Amino acid sequence: MSDLIVIGAGLCGLIAAYTAARAGKQVKIVTKGLGATHWHAGSIDVLGYYPDDATPVMRPLETLHDLTRARPQHPYAILDGTLSDALENFASLTRELGLPYAGAPNSGDNLWLPSPVGAARPTFPAPRAQLAGDLRRAAPMLIVGLRGMRDFYPELIAENLSKQGQRARAAFLPLDLITDRRDSNTAQLASALDDPTRRAKLAAALKQLAQPGERIGIPAILGMDAHAAALDDLQAQTGAAIFEIPTLPPSVPGVRLTNALRNHLRQLGVRVEINADVIGFHAEKDRVLWIESDASGRPLKHRAEKFLLATGGILGGGIDSDHTGKVWERVFDLPLAVPREREQWFRARFFDPAGHPIFRAGVPVNREFQPIDAQGARVYANVWAAGNLLAHADPILERSLEGLAIATGIAAARRAVK
Amino acid sequence: MHTASWHSVGMTLDECIKCNVCTTYCPVAAVTDKFPGPKYVGPQAQRFRECGQLKSPDISVDYCSACRVCNEVCPSGVKIAEINARAKAQIVADRGIPIRNWFFGRNEQLGKIGSIAPQIANLGFHNPFSRFMAEKIMGVARHAPIPHWSTAGSFGAWFRRTPRLKSDKKVVYFHGCSTNYYEPQVGKAAVAVLEHLGYQVIVPPQNCCGLPMLNNGEFRAAEKLYRSNIAKLLPYADQGLPIVGTSVSCVLVLREEASEMLDIENDETRRLRNALWDMSEWLRDLLERGELDTNFRELKMIVPYHVSCQARAHRMGRPSLDVMTLIPGLDVREGNAKCCGLAGTYGYKAEKYDIAMKVGEEAFRFVRAQGDDVRFTTSDSEICRWQLEHGTHKDCRAPIEIFAAAYGLYDLDKRRLIQK
Amino acid sequence: MKQIETEILVIGGGATGTGIAWDAALRGLRVVLVEKRDLTHGTTGRYHGLLHSGGRYVVKDPHSAAECIAENRILRKTHAHCIEDTGGFFVATPEDDNDYPDQFKAACAHIGIPCEEISVAAALKREPLMNPHARRVFVVPDGAADSFQATHSTAQAARQAGAQILNYHEVVQLIVKGGEGDRRVVGARVRDVARGEDVEIRARMTINAAGAWSGVVAQTAGVRVDVIPGKGTMLAVNHRVVNTVLNRCKMPDDGDIIVPIHTVAVIGTTDERVQDPEHLTIEPWEVELLLREGDKLIPGVSRARFVRAWAGVRPLYQEHYSGASRDATRDLTLLDHKTRDGVAGFLTILGGKWTTFRLMAQVTLDKACEYLGACKPCLTAQTVVPGVEQGHYWLGHRLHEVEENHLQSELVCECELVTRAMLENAARSNPTLTLDDLRRDVRLGMGPCQGGFCTYRAAGILHEMQVNSEQLTVNSEQLEEWSVAYMQSPAHNAQSRNTQHASRITNHQSPNLLLRDFLQERWKGLLPILWGRQLKQERLDELIYLCLMNADHLPDENATSPLSDFYSRPGISATADQGGAP
Repeated sequence: MSDLIVIGAGLCGLIAAYTAARAGKQVKIVTKGLGATHWHAGSIDVLGYYPDDATPVMRPLETLHDLTRARPQHPYAILDGTLSDALENFASLTRELGLPYAGAPNSGDNLWLPSPVGAARPTFPAPRAQLAGDLRRAAPMLIVGLRGMRDFYPELIAENLSKQGQRARAAFLPLDLITDRRDSNTAQLASALDDPTRRAKLAAALKQLAQPGERIGIPAILGMDAHAAALDDLQAQTGAAIFEIPTLPPSVPGVRLTNALRNHLRQLGVRVEINADVIGFHAEKDRVLWIESDASGRPLKHRAEKFLLATGGILGGGIDSDHTGKVWERVFDLPLAVPREREQWFRARFFDPAGHPIFRAGVPVNREFQPIDAQGARVYANVWAAGNLLAHADPILERSLEGLAIATGIAAARRAVK
Repeated sequence: MHTASWHSVGMTLDECIKCNVCTTYCPVAAVTDKFPGPKYVGPQAQRFRECGQLKSPDISVDYCSACRVCNEVCPSGVKIAEINARAKAQIVADRGIPIRNWFFGRNEQLGKIGSIAPQIANLGFHNPFSRFMAEKIMGVARHAPIPHWSTAGSFGAWFRRTPRLKSDKKVVYFHGCSTNYYEPQVGKAAVAVLEHLGYQVIVPPQNCCGLPMLNNGEFRAAEKLYRSNIAKLLPYADQGLPIVGTSVSCVLVLREEASEMLDIENDETRRLRNALWDMSEWLRDLLERGELDTNFRELKMIVPYHVSCQARAHRMGRPSLDVMTLIPGLDVREGNAKCCGLAGTYGYKAEKYDIAMKVGEEAFRFVRAQGDDVRFTTSDSEICRWQLEHGTHKDCRAPIEIFAAAYGLYDLDKRRLIQK
Repeated sequence: MKQIETEILVIGGGATGTGIAWDAALRGLRVVLVEKRDLTHGTTGRYHGLLHSGGRYVVKDPHSAAECIAENRILRKTHAHCIEDTGGFFVATPEDDNDYPDQFKAACAHIGIPCEEISVAAALKREPLMNPHARRVFVVPDGAADSFQATHSTAQAARQAGAQILNYHEVVQLIVKGGEGDRRVVGARVRDVARGEDVEIRARMTINAAGAWSGVVAQTAGVRVDVIPGKGTMLAVNHRVVNTVLNRCKMPDDGDIIVPIHTVAVIGTTDERVQDPEHLTIEPWEVELLLREGDKLIPGVSRARFVRAWAGVRPLYQEHYSGASRDATRDLTLLDHKTRDGVAGFLTILGGKWTTFRLMAQVTLDKACEYLGACKPCLTAQTVVPGVEQGHYWLGHRLHEVEENHLQSELVCECELVTRAMLENAARSNPTLTLDDLRRDVRLGMGPCQGGFCTYRAAGILHEMQVNSEQLTVNSEQLEEWSVAYMQSPAHNAQSRNTQHASRITNHQSPNLLLRDFLQERWKGLLPILWGRQLKQERLDELIYLCLMNADHLPDENATSPLSDFYSRPGISATADQGGAP
């Protein structure tokens, strides 16, 4: 019997479990697999573009005031101004994990970091290894790729940065400098750079390429388990500021964060029940007594006082749909806020600045982060919901994906354990 | 595509969103280029396969060790390992089976033959020259931890020979081949624990679960074994008796793997599934119902617990851990290693031995990190126990042996029952 | 203005036009083909891929059926590598007319279409997902045809025989000489869309093979051709739920066929008379109908994962016809505008189907030769196109070749197994204005993730090629060494061709535009079938291009390609343009 069961192991679920465990509760995570965090860029987007008109957001915490006034149902509005508090919490956690995030919160400005296609990506706190890429800095950039690596195109990045008024140029190094593998994805390349001799070779080559005063951007493969040492070594040995540019999934910065969080949770006594696909639950009156996950023999029961749903939205697998236009929440079949007809789900342009209405579908909650029905009544007394599952926001469109996960995860967990 | 029905495991390829989480965690792809990774050989390659094709288009899928870490981390529910197993079976159907793999599939017969004269068999096979020749001629890795035949006779013989408790409470025991021929101690410990709990133990006729054949792509032969076990065990299931097994992998096959891979899903398979239990899972169930004797004696030691991939594939939580934590003094340390590397018969194959050892390194490192005082490690699967012993030079015991010891029934060092 | 003199000008780079160019070149005629976009951009590239046995029309249209089986036998030889010998079933489900199967069987025997009745059990053994309540099943020699590969191979054969193939050359105006009663088409003014220049092509005979667009082309010569544009909508299932073509054994109707082609299975089709062949809208009722009818052939297929919907438009023709397009004849029609309209030097070929494209070319050239005088007889039935030595297509070939050559790390499109060198070689060998052109060449972005991972990689690779080729000179002779007919083979493209021989990349489009256009092009075909697992996939793709790439905020935001507008037109009728947010 747990005090709290968190369903889902994305950033939101992990942070929620951490919050509850730190409050002294017996916490278990039940999750189908590992997902969400392996796809993110690794930095924490809080608010990059204002919903609807897609105006770039310069100072997210300030813009948030407007947002919460204009959209009282937005999950950020339910936080009651505790976002900066949540971000501070997260920052101190990352310091504890040895994977410190920093940057924007001090100044209140969004960071603008180079994306793998050379666009300026608005984000808020970022891992230490991404900070030197901030495009508000003046130092010229050298973007270095590895010849033959299919997920990184330095010339494209440099050209697009130049078009935006940055001083940037591109260079290549051979891939066999860091690996003798024939087939290697970014996670394997990162593990290869855990080896100090390999990164010394990389550092020497980078030093040859770079001109004085240049900062060096490389794909985000700078070590996996030994990332911190790898970054320090490379900066010391090249004498240049180094920054990582995140790549296509699997995102190495995301994997590092997940690994660190999972290890930390284990030390806090949180059991992560992975490969546990929740297929049923049992409720009496307005309380959920247990959930059941699929197993080889008989469904495995997980009992708890309280349940926190952090299964994600359409991408995370918390919400499913079919060709008839039916949309449903997968664990408790909670009421959803969703466009009525399938014909209303999308707009004609993929990059429509107003986004696609279906991606705003989700679980509506009250101010306690407890799911409610169409009449506004709480559905279960001991169920909370957080993260991308929540209705009335499109976190991918507004670039609030991680910020929303962290802030609502902490808020919902606090309310659940209080 | 091997699509017998919409419920076939092959259909789960449609769940894949190409996100690469499986490839990130695959312990085999992490150490060798010979395996292009679970996404590649699984849901991706599967779209290019069909029955009766000119030829099997790819054979690198043979380097999948079937550890199922991919299934575990997949956020979308693709049954990658099973897709791979079926692709392997297609290769066998197309190209025939190497003689070595044919032998590996017949673990039960090998056990039987060796047990006729186990000392001679051990001497004959387990000497450097024979192992060298076996590697050269058959491709059986010469250093791999192939078990020794039990010199104290088979479990079955012991069970018939010794007097048994009679009781109204009855339980059926599925021992599996390895307990029967290589580790009868595990079966003896299981019987001792069950009788200690007041159960009369029934050991019905049974045969190999078929896992080695499934692993080596011999699906038709495996199907025969599966159907034969159904016929032998179902009468007990239909009497409402629980059927418990100490081999976590045999139980997995009988409960799920065989029916999934062979596309046999019917009322009989469901009835058998409902009656089957992993030993620790059953004990945990007794515990939850308040029927487990928790009066364990103290076992003062550190025991690193390697959670075998087969145990994780059950998705039944950590029942062994749940029960072991009740034992006073026992400091059980749960490891996070993805796989011991041996993975069924994978690590026995000469071309895969080195891969298996590299994969296992994570588990070995975990054991070493628990200090030099560690006398025993534990793991639910016999395969993992042999590989852990091979990689760490520490004795590895089954959880049931530890339970038996904690009830004062079993000597963990000498690995035998304590006679009262 | 640039001028080209030739004997025959062919308008339209679909199967028929390319076939005509090939046929003409083999007969020793000088021929130029113009296509306003990429080869197969029109109807040829938008059909389900069935190589007809003739079974489909055997009762309704026996003449057409006889043509099909004859051409089926020829194409299996001349275009062997573009054809997969899947075989086909005609399945009588409980809903279908009880008398039809016997008529069908008799008609097949009469025409000479091999047709064998097998037991339902035997059919289920081969296709386990087929409707188990089927009453009767007949096996016929249907097949699956890759119309992209086939057309490219035909074009290559035509080039080798001396033809000139000009992509992205759009007819602005047919040039007509003479007065009333003595008018004659003497060529066309065309626009080189990539370079933005006009070209004048003078020809003794102009052949209009623009399919559904033929009316538009003829109009510029003042000739009226009323094409019956029959829109057909199709849906692709994420994997091959069948490996045999399944047809309903009844009169042809909507949603009665499932074709396994490459890695997918295509449910087709609807048939709806439309006004505008350029902008086809897929209506929700069409999707619903295809799913409902699909369930009758394969129960449960409506719950499968779909990766795409698209519509093609049949260039049907029947003089003075006003009925439904479903009932219009599938026969080919050759219009000789000299006898029909008093305009000499001008032929229009219409109707038919992919399977009969070679025959259509033959009939057209026979007529043209009547006017042009001395030319050789048709050779296309006896001549193979480049690439046939690869043998019939088989599903596993890419996987097999990637494995044999250890090309896993070279994969740019992981779903469809497209290597970097395949992409580069295709870009060098074919004029490439958009990534969609490369999709037709090598199947880029046609798998489950629908461009999620490969769009970025392809844009990056093309950009690298642009950067490098700036210092290189074009050496077009060596270009021909690489055969387009092998562009789908990973093994043949195990290495990228020496970049010193580059490059015919007419494309100097901004990589940002390439990326944006392709994502939009994919989106268009996804909208009608976006739910469940594919919706989840699309959300991941969105995360990649918005959160990770920020690709909606790239420079060159206002740049457009000749196809940007085409991709941006809504592919489904109703979208949430007036809000609809919860």
